Amino acid sequence: MSKGKIAIIGIGEVPTRNMPERTHWDIVYDTCMEAVRDSGLHKNDIEGVISVFPQAQPKIAAELSFGKLPEELGLKGCKDAVSVNAGGASTSNAIRLAEQWITSGVAKAVLVHHVTIHSTIAVPDLINFFAKAGVDLQWEYPYGTTYNIIMGLMANRFMYQSGCTPEEMASVVTALRSWAAKDPNSFFYGKEVPSVQKVLASDLLNTPLHKRESNVLGDGGCAMVIVSAEDAKKMKRPAAYKLGDSVRYFSGTCVMRDFNKVAEGFRVTAKEAMAQAGITKEDVSLWNCYLAYPLAHPMISELLEVAPPGMGGKYFLEGRMSFGGDIPWSSIGDAPGRGHTGSGVSSACYVETARQLMGKAGERQVKNCKYVYQNAGGGSGFNNIATIWGKEI
Amino acid sequence: MDFDMTKPVPETQPWSEKFWEGTKEGKLLIQVCNDCKSKIFYPRKYCPECWSGNLGWMEASGKATILTFSTAYGMVEPKFTDELPYTIAYVDLEEGIRMMTRIVECKPEDIKFDMPVEVVYHEREGFFLPYFRPVKK
Repeated sequence: MSKGKIAIIGIGEVPTRNMPERTHWDIVYDTCMEAVRDSGLHKNDIEGVISVFPQAQPKIAAELSFGKLPEELGLKGCKDAVSVNAGGASTSNAIRLAEQWITSGVAKAVLVHHVTIHSTIAVPDLINFFAKAGVDLQWEYPYGTTYNIIMGLMANRFMYQSGCTPEEMASVVTALRSWAAKDPNSFFYGKEVPSVQKVLASDLLNTPLHKRESNVLGDGGCAMVIVSAEDAKKMKRPAAYKLGDSVRYFSGTCVMRDFNKVAEGFRVTAKEAMAQAGITKEDVSLWNCYLAYPLAHPMISELLEVAPPGMGGKYFLEGRMSFGGDIPWSSIGDAPGRGHTGSGVSSACYVETARQLMGKAGERQVKNCKYVYQNAGGGSGFNNIATIWGKEI
Repeated sequence: MDFDMTKPVPETQPWSEKFWEGTKEGKLLIQVCNDCKSKIFYPRKYCPECWSGNLGWMEASGKATILTFSTAYGMVEPKFTDELPYTIAYVDLEEGIRMMTRIVECKPEDIKFDMPVEVVYHEREGFFLPYFRPVKK
């Protein structure tokens, strides 16, 4: 991939809430118009539109995939529109496609956006979708597995091998929710941050996962405007420059996923992305990790060498990754803090990365935020994409 | 609410049917490549190592150890709630194959990492799912 070919110059977002009265197109209008206005461009400067595929929402997915957005918003200069689907890695790939469009001359300015409304999906349909998506229908689904159980399998083995305690695992929720409580776009904005004891007192769903360690589904959406790094510099506006991008594929079927290969993938992608950016881990101002579940955070903090081996859980328990701690980490609180918007959690993470580098994160603003590590994983974790973003090129 | 309460059966492929036929006879079959000698799980149309179509089968011992497990107490699909609590596990067969399965015939609190287990079969709508139980000492 490339160092410094593109930059995010405009962002827009709506609060993650359960608001069935807010339609998909309400969110599309509000987020996209805000992002274009924030970029300083005119709507007709947008030459490409990329939608992050909304999971389990066939009607809006079809409308977006078949090109309705530029027409709806009157983007008169638009040359092309498309949807991208790789589950939680959709946004990373949408940004890569934007980079290709920009560097090949297809478009000078690209709008990337996401919208999801879970609150109007019938509960049986929602349960059925999340039970089957990313779960093999021959070798896994008949046993009664779920995403929660798949995460439990990984977390249990990690705890067994590393000595990470239930209290340390629970403290990840406390850390993520401490950020979310300060985030106006979070489902949990202004809400009480649950203590470790409160997390562990919640119902045990499947070992070692408690109810407060799982995700709450929400409605939401966000958008970003991407231009070439060269154009972003000329515009002299706050921007987030993409400086590095590395990825490893693991497996499509959960049981085929070799834990050691996953661990190595997280290590290598971080190192490669940082090498492309010309930085080291000491230069990273914010580790904006997207892992969907809190249970993976201690393990990843060790793989990224933010915490020494065996110390990931302890770092969380000590509050080092919490709001106000010395290691800025997942500053929207990842999916457990933000509220789960399907593929949109990673979109929200990228928007937050840009927001932090632009210096627009308000109370959550990381001081002297210069470089951000931003990862994403697709489906039930079939890959890991590591990216590095910078305030300047 | 109108939930589908039908318990799922494996959605097979033509090249995996031999595996499921084997389970009906109490055999845990592993696909093997006759050219590169790879042991293949889950069964494929062609060998994922060398793309050979010259594939056969061997019978596994049915012995395995538990790599990891998670016992479900709630928030599973409604069609599975009558079976709660149940334990899902990844087990490593002696032949070097890893499978997802259920651990049965023991209390959840007695399940341990690296515990030796052996295959038993659970019938569902004509399919015999390989479950595993602790090896009796």
